[in-house]
Amino acid sequence: MGDSKETFNPFDPTGMLKGMRDSNMDAWAKMMGELVHTDAYAESTGKMLDAWLSSSAPFRKVMEKSMSQALANLNLPSLNDISGLNERLTNIEMRLDDLDAKLDLFLSKIK
Amino acid sequence: MNQTENGELKLPTFSEVCDAWHGVAQNAQTFNRLVNTDADIAQTPKELIWTLNKAKLYRYTPVVPEEERHGIPLLLVFAIMNRPHVLDLRPGHSFVEYMLEKGYDLYLLDWGAPGPEDKNLKFDDYALEYLPRVVRKLKSVSGANEFSMLGWCLGALICTIYASLRPDDGLRNLILLTAPLDFSDKKSSGFSRWTSDPSFKPESIVEAFGNVPGEMIDSGAKMLKPVENYLGTYTMLWDNIEDPSRTTAWHAMNTWVRDTIPMAGAAYQQLINEFYKENKLIEGTLKIRGEHVDLSRLTASLFNVIAEGDHITPPCQSEGVMDLVGSQDKELFHVRGGHIGIMAGRGAEKKTWPHLDEWLASRSELAGDG
Repeated sequence: MGDSKETFNPFDPTGMLKGMRDSNMDAWAKMMGELVHTDAYAESTGKMLDAWLSSSAPFRKVMEKSMSQALANLNLPSLNDISGLNERLTNIEMRLDDLDAKLDLFLSKIK
Repeated sequence: MNQTENGELKLPTFSEVCDAWHGVAQNAQTFNRLVNTDADIAQTPKELIWTLNKAKLYRYTPVVPEEERHGIPLLLVFAIMNRPHVLDLRPGHSFVEYMLEKGYDLYLLDWGAPGPEDKNLKFDDYALEYLPRVVRKLKSVSGANEFSMLGWCLGALICTIYASLRPDDGLRNLILLTAPLDFSDKKSSGFSRWTSDPSFKPESIVEAFGNVPGEMIDSGAKMLKPVENYLGTYTMLWDNIEDPSRTTAWHAMNTWVRDTIPMAGAAYQQLINEFYKENKLIEGTLKIRGEHVDLSRLTASLFNVIAEGDHITPPCQSEGVMDLVGSQDKELFHVRGGHIGIMAGRGAEKKTWPHLDEWLASRSELAGDG
């Protein structure tokens, strides 16, 4: 934070805001900090989030379904297809990693 | 406002007022640039030595001759919902740089950003699929049979699980930084309080998004101290806008903060349900891939670093593990500062890094090195 003991200068374009800020921000920060650490805040944000996610779920499902259908009609892979492919690639990577480790071990033994 | 020698007010001239406004306009431009652009961070030279899916293992280029280096390599493991660049923030203020200069053979595990296809990744995968492979590669590249590991935040949680499940893998030293392990006190932090409320359902978030968006995690962390994070950081920047050393530091940190990544959905659900809500690790009921996680099997030397002003992982979430681990050589170390500040803040190179080096250096020589 800046030096709040500086002489107030009305010709400093930011001076007035700075003075107001310095005198209020600590108290404001403390108040907000206490507010977000209450059970009431936890409950209300939890409920709001839940309400938003539940109310948007049907629309999301319709979107997902129509997107999957559209992609299938265009012969394009869906997210599930890509996820499956990623899983297979990761499995191959792991097998290659195991082979690499065995090769490292073998090379270290023949050195 | 200026005063003359006899105490009379001297009004500024038109030219002085214009200059003042010109200065403000210039500062506003600088402010805009710092807030909206990225600084060059994570600049220390490194080599990619291993990858699996999105995860990457790097080896930093040593700066100390081999004969002067510590025999035991050090692996850095950061959290899974942020980039690890904070460990190597900027040249001249980088933990990585510091440890390289102290003679460590240094490795960094970057978990990467999970894509929608990675939504099923769990702590089970991180601790028992990725980490053992990373350790195997590290040992192969370094030629050492033993290693040290430094885990920070959720990285520390993963390291703790791994160290308890694989005590014979050669882990000699474990450093935990602000490790969220013990969630018995549901009122200890904002996160604990929020997630323990019955109306908070991680399943709904995961069902809606797959992975938890980085912005959501970032907002949650910032809401723990809303005024400081949404206002205070910018007013502090404005106050120091003409101080290049402060603005450079702020820019680098802001670049890291802005670069949010999602968290794998299954891991998030597991974090909230099995750790935050049920406290399974400390209760001794945690199972990872069917294996019971018994903290008493963690026998590596342990240095547990607590940030006294941590509002994300309050000290009580890290301290309790000391009585449960099997390590004979263990130390709890308190540092003044916050969750990130203790390692990346302005005082880190004096109040944290030297202590980590001091503890680790004496435990990083190969047997027979004397």
